[in-house]
Amino acid sequence: MANYYDLDDIIAEEERVSVVFRKAVNGVGIDASAETDCVEIDSKVELPFWLAHELYLRKVVKLKVPTCFNQKTRLELGADAACVDLRSRCPYFYEFGCKIARLFNSCEPETRVEGRDLGSFLLSAFENRYKEVLAKAHSAAFAAASKCFTLLTKEETTMYEAAQSSMAAFKKWRMGGPRFQKASILGRKRKPTD
Amino acid sequence: MAGQSDPHVSLFSAEELEFMAEDELVEIVPNMRMEPLNLLCGDYGPFFPQMVTQVPVWLAIALKKRGKCSIRPPEWMSVESLTRILESERESQDVFQVLPFHYVEISKLLFDHAPGDIPDIYMVRSLIEDIRDVRFHKFETSLESFEAARSSAVRINNLSAMEVNIARPFVSRALQAFYKHTSPDLVPNAETVPNRWQQPADPGQKRTLRKR
Amino acid sequence: MYGRKACQLVKELTTGEKGQLMPFNSDLFDQVIAECGQHYFEIQSLTRKMEEEGLDIETTKNEDHYGSLIHHLSLVRNKRCLMAYLYNRAEILRNLTWKVGPVLPQEIQEKLSHLEEDYFKKHSASLKSYMSKLDLDLAVDMVPPKDPYIQVRVLDDIGDGIVLSDDKTANFAPHSMHFLKRTDAEQFISRGLMEELTG
Repeated sequence: MANYYDLDDIIAEEERVSVVFRKAVNGVGIDASAETDCVEIDSKVELPFWLAHELYLRKVVKLKVPTCFNQKTRLELGADAACVDLRSRCPYFYEFGCKIARLFNSCEPETRVEGRDLGSFLLSAFENRYKEVLAKAHSAAFAAASKCFTLLTKEETTMYEAAQSSMAAFKKWRMGGPRFQKASILGRKRKPTD
Repeated sequence: MAGQSDPHVSLFSAEELEFMAEDELVEIVPNMRMEPLNLLCGDYGPFFPQMVTQVPVWLAIALKKRGKCSIRPPEWMSVESLTRILESERESQDVFQVLPFHYVEISKLLFDHAPGDIPDIYMVRSLIEDIRDVRFHKFETSLESFEAARSSAVRINNLSAMEVNIARPFVSRALQAFYKHTSPDLVPNAETVPNRWQQPADPGQKRTLRKR
Repeated sequence: MYGRKACQLVKELTTGEKGQLMPFNSDLFDQVIAECGQHYFEIQSLTRKMEEEGLDIETTKNEDHYGSLIHHLSLVRNKRCLMAYLYNRAEILRNLTWKVGPVLPQEIQEKLSHLEEDYFKKHSASLKSYMSKLDLDLAVDMVPPKDPYIQVRVLDDIGDGIVLSDDKTANFAPHSMHFLKRTDAEQFISRGLMEELTG
C-alpha cells in the first residue's frame, strides 16, 4: 500500500479508465454525455482510476483494460521496447498498470481473463527498457541523452535522474571548489545589485 | 544524513565519504620533534625528524599544510601496483580487484594536499582514473545481469565506498522496481518467473564496511 | 470531473524546477474546499431524499445510494489531495530551517501562506530551544568542515553592524573579502549573501 501522502501515487490514480455502469446512479455529474445528472445502466463513461477502482470493487461498474495496455502497445514494445514513447501514452505506465493488474487479479474470473497477463507484460516491458536506461544513466551527458529521455515514464525518469545527479555530485566533488554553497531552494540567479 | 545535499538522492555526500576516509592511516616523515598526541581517536607520535610514523590522513594533511612533514604515499599508489591492478581489472569481467575501501577519496586527498610527495603523480593520477572507469563499467555490466536473473539482489564484492555511493541511488530504485514488478499479486503465474527474490539473504556473508 | 482540481493542486508540487518551492496556491486550494462543500451538500440532499421515501439508509442500494457513494468517494479523494499538498509543503518548510536558516529571505517568504509562515516560525523556535538546551548548534557544519576559518566574498548588501561570534563587528560592504570563522559565514553563504573562495 502506497503512502497516503505520496504525490506520484495520487497523480497515477488520476489516469482515466473506461467503465460501463452496471447500476443506475442519481445526482452525480460524471457522465458528460448525459443531459440530466443521472447515469443509466450500460452507460459508458471515462472515470479517474481512484473512482473507477472503488466502484468496481462494489460491482457498480465493469472495467475495460485502458488503451495504453492494449495489443498495439504490446506489439510495439515487443518489437523495440526502448524506442516506444511510453511517456506520451501514460506517464505513470507502470504504477497505473500495476494498480490495474492488481485489481483484475483480485476480482471476478470473467475480467481476469482480459487482464490476466498484464503483470507479466509490465515486467517484461520494464526489463527490456531497463537495460537502455542503465546504459545511459551514469554515462551520457544530459544533452546527448535527452532525446531518449523524453520517451521515459515517470518511474524510469526517477531512476535515470537519480543516476545522473549522483554522478554529477561525484564529479563536482572531484573538481574541488567551494564546499559550502547557497541553498539550492533559493533561486540560482543573483539579484541585480549593481 | 547528507547536510546540504538532497537526502533522497544518496545516503552520503562525496564530502562526507571524504571525511570518513580521513580517519584511515598513512605514513608520514616528520621534520620536527613533537610530544605524542593523545587524541580521542588514538595516540599518535612521538614525532622525530626523519622517523616514519603512522597518523590519520586528516592529521597528516594538517601537518603537511604547516610544512611539518612529508607524506609517504601508500604502497598501492605506486605506478607498478596500479598498473598491475588495472591489468587484472581488464582481464576479468566478473572479479573486482581488492583496493582500499576509500581508494578514491584517499588518492584525491593526497593529490590535492601532497602532490610533491607522490612520485610520477601524473601517471598515478591517470592510472587511478582508468581503474575507476574500468571498474564502474564492469559494475554497470553486472547490473544488466540481475535483470536476467530476476532477483532482487545483486552481489558484487570489493566495491569501494565511493563506487557504492555513486551507484546507490540508481540501484536501490531499480531493485525496488524489480521487486514491485515481480510481486506475486502482479505476476500470479509462478512457473514463468523463478522466485529468486524469495531466497533469504545469507546473514553469514555480510561484508564488514571497513577494514581495520 | 470530480477531483480534477485537487489533482491539479498536487501536480503543481511535482512540476516546476526541481528543488524549488512554488507559491501557495490559495485560489485553487479554496476552490477544492468549495468542491468538498458541494459534495457534502449533495450527500445530505440524497440522504434526505431517501429518508423522505421511507427507505433504510443502511441497507438500501438504489441509484440515490450510489450517487451519494460517488460524492463520498470524491470527498475522500479531495481530502487526500489537500492533505498531501499541505503535508509535502510542510516537509519542505521543515527542511528550510536546515538549509536556509531561521530567517527566510523575501523570495521564499512570499511563497508561503500565513499558516505556513507561522508553522515555520514555530518549528524554527522549537529547534532553537532544543539546540540551546543541548548547548550545540546543530545547523552548522552541514558539510564536513576542513578549516575553522574560510575566505569569503560578500555578494549582496548585508548591512553593517553585524556582530560575529567573537564579539567583533565587521563592515560587509558588497564585493569586500573577509577571513571569517566558518560557522559565522555559513548562514550568509546558504542565503546566497556570501560565497566561499577556494584555492
